[in-house]
Amino acid sequence: MANFLISRLLYTVLVLFGVSVAVFFLIRIGGDPSALFLPPEASLEEIERFRALMGFDRPLVVQYFDFLGRAVQGDFGMSLRYNQPAMQLVLDRMPATLQLGGAALLLSLIISLPLAIIAAAKRDSIFDRASLLISIIGQSFPAFWLAIMLILLFSENLRLLPPSGRGTWAHLVMPAIVLATYSTAIITRLLRSSMIEALSSDYVRTARGKGVRESTIILSHALRNAAIPTLTVIGLQVGALLGGAVITEEVFAYPGVGRLAIQAIANRDFTVVQAFVLLMAALIVMINLLVDLSYGFLDPRLRKRK
Amino acid sequence: MTSTFKRCLLAATLGVSIPALMATAGIAQEGSTIIVAQGVDAYSMDPAKHSNFPTANILFQLYDGLVTQDENGEIVPALATEWSNPDELTWRFKLRQGVKFHNGEDFNAEAVKASFDRALNPDFKAPYFSRISHIKAVEVVDEYTVDFKTEKPFPTMLLSLYEASFPALIVPPKYAAENDGASIAAKPIGTGPYKFVEWLKDEHVVLEANPDYWGGKPAIEKVVFRPIAETRTRIAELTSGGVDIVVDVPPEDMASLDGGDTKIVTVSSDSLYFLSFDTTRDTPLKDKRVRQAINHAIDVDAIQQALLNGMGTRTALTLPTNGFAYDSSWQPYEYSPEKAKALLAEAGYPDGFEIPFISRKGRYMKDAEIVEATAGFLSKVGIKANIQYLEAGVWGQISEQKGREGIAFPGWSGRDPQLVWAPLLTTGQYQSYYSNPELDELLQAGASTIDTEARKEIYAKAAAIIKEEAPHVPMIQPPLIYGLNANLTWTPRSDGMIDLRKAHF
Repeated sequence: MANFLISRLLYTVLVLFGVSVAVFFLIRIGGDPSALFLPPEASLEEIERFRALMGFDRPLVVQYFDFLGRAVQGDFGMSLRYNQPAMQLVLDRMPATLQLGGAALLLSLIISLPLAIIAAAKRDSIFDRASLLISIIGQSFPAFWLAIMLILLFSENLRLLPPSGRGTWAHLVMPAIVLATYSTAIITRLLRSSMIEALSSDYVRTARGKGVRESTIILSHALRNAAIPTLTVIGLQVGALLGGAVITEEVFAYPGVGRLAIQAIANRDFTVVQAFVLLMAALIVMINLLVDLSYGFLDPRLRKRK
Repeated sequence: MTSTFKRCLLAATLGVSIPALMATAGIAQEGSTIIVAQGVDAYSMDPAKHSNFPTANILFQLYDGLVTQDENGEIVPALATEWSNPDELTWRFKLRQGVKFHNGEDFNAEAVKASFDRALNPDFKAPYFSRISHIKAVEVVDEYTVDFKTEKPFPTMLLSLYEASFPALIVPPKYAAENDGASIAAKPIGTGPYKFVEWLKDEHVVLEANPDYWGGKPAIEKVVFRPIAETRTRIAELTSGGVDIVVDVPPEDMASLDGGDTKIVTVSSDSLYFLSFDTTRDTPLKDKRVRQAINHAIDVDAIQQALLNGMGTRTALTLPTNGFAYDSSWQPYEYSPEKAKALLAEAGYPDGFEIPFISRKGRYMKDAEIVEATAGFLSKVGIKANIQYLEAGVWGQISEQKGREGIAFPGWSGRDPQLVWAPLLTTGQYQSYYSNPELDELLQAGASTIDTEARKEIYAKAAAIIKEEAPHVPMIQPPLIYGLNANLTWTPRSDGMIDLRKAHF
């Protein structure tokens, strides 16, 4: 177990280093923010002066190591636009994103888990058809379109929900639905097929032969075995819900990290983009680690192998 | 299908009764509160520390400049009551007496000097430094008189001192220095009609009326600015009564918003839509006849009618019609494909030619549509324009390398030839793709003359050259379109600044 943790830690450091290189150089390919930040009539000399003032004129490699040196000490630099520490800007908006992501995940699990289990248990029933429909629709609806349709229906026509902002539970409903749609579809599909596979396996036949109650077979025998691949996908979805809420946050004017990030990218606010990407990478690596660890609890065979 | 009918149909389909729905409908906040929805949140509460128009709109409710703009677009007194030019290099301002900042600090000549000294200090890194960089020094004459000294005569000084020149807003010197400027960047204090209450990042900025405002207490008690990037969401907020003013309404949504609980107000902006020709490289565009031909080839009126619902103002030259020295007798080139073809033939291109055409997409209202329509008109006279849309950062990069080859749709704004023609047409300027020594001389003269009548004469001569040489295709001052709560009275401004001082329900 200790070996496992150490190797995972090394792996995490490597991943974060790779991500830092990628984000640092990729965001700079499109030029630096000087011309975007200064007024349109600023002269070339003024742009150069500003560039030198901000240190954007130094070789990229020098800038990278300067950034890396500070980042390992927890200093991710100042945001050019906000004139505030970049990581603080991202962290300030994390609670909103976590709240939305949490609501979406909860919603998606509440729908997908029972639906998938019932669909697998009662194949070709109306529930099975419903699960298939939800999977197809959920995966094929673009978030942007769905968000606008919900706003048209619930805000403009029915006037039941506020179209944007944050504050009450009502503000969470539509963004959570949009965010949950895709995860619900994926989780439903995957769990349904894993369940079907488990339910047709030998141990289920044996259990049925022994006269174990069907509900026990489904919930305890089959579900436990079907859970492992599903858990992996749920882990991936958590990452997607946190870092991938960009469009949803933008449409619903929800004050989360995704919206901050997309504005920072448009403004070439390098430090904010870097802080956002690195934080997200760290979170996703952590979630993956948690998922890996949880396999052991579900399946004793995997525990021993470690 | 009317929207009421749609709502009925929808309600019927869902089996819900309409009165039940209406009961829960959002009720427009009236009387004491006005909510404004813009695309982005404020970046800073320090007027000299940002370079963003939506931020400036918020800060203009909190701070004042020495001068401001009235309903007619004229520069009028604000914190300064009068001004004069004791000599060509001095602008002297008499200041309003008895004005206090929200924290009780006195507004006086020292505060003006300190505000500018702060923003002019290179270490302060003011992004809009260039707007005020012509000011060499601010000198206190007495408690309520200041002199602005310039190195060269600076005729457009007043446009550098009103609110759209962001660092020109006056800050309380003691407070602005607190915590190295961090205090004012988080909790602003100015002399303006509204006082700061709360800023929840990316959620809202809340302001309350300043009862002691020197211009009189504003009619509306509370102001909220909300950032809503997505146009459809902004419109949904307006129609469901969640906000009272939304910016940047697309022309196609005007009809549906102009009636019932909402209305539309528009104004022609100071911005300029035009085409710029690269005359520095060896292409057909070097020939003035080709440039004139392109001017004849594009039916700008049709573009304005079709894409902007006829809104905005056609300009004869690259200068807003409300700009200094604009002469209403100026005429644009008439639309005539025959003349265009004749000129092209004369220039040696009877079958036209191919040329790059660059623009950004989504930077300005309907920019891509206008570019496409323009290319369509060009193809009718045999010119094949190869359109390429550039991302904002890439556009900036190419511009810095003077790399805008062929035809460009750059967009610009400015209400004085010195702010438009000087940067865009003076030889060697980084945004200029044209060179003409005679014009350079005139623009230089215009830049260094204080006397307004003399300046007008200079620019009349410059205008004649620009018309004949056709380095641009002047097009339209696009409209600014706002959606409003139908009960709100508020007048938009051509410079795009939101002024809530006189707004009322």
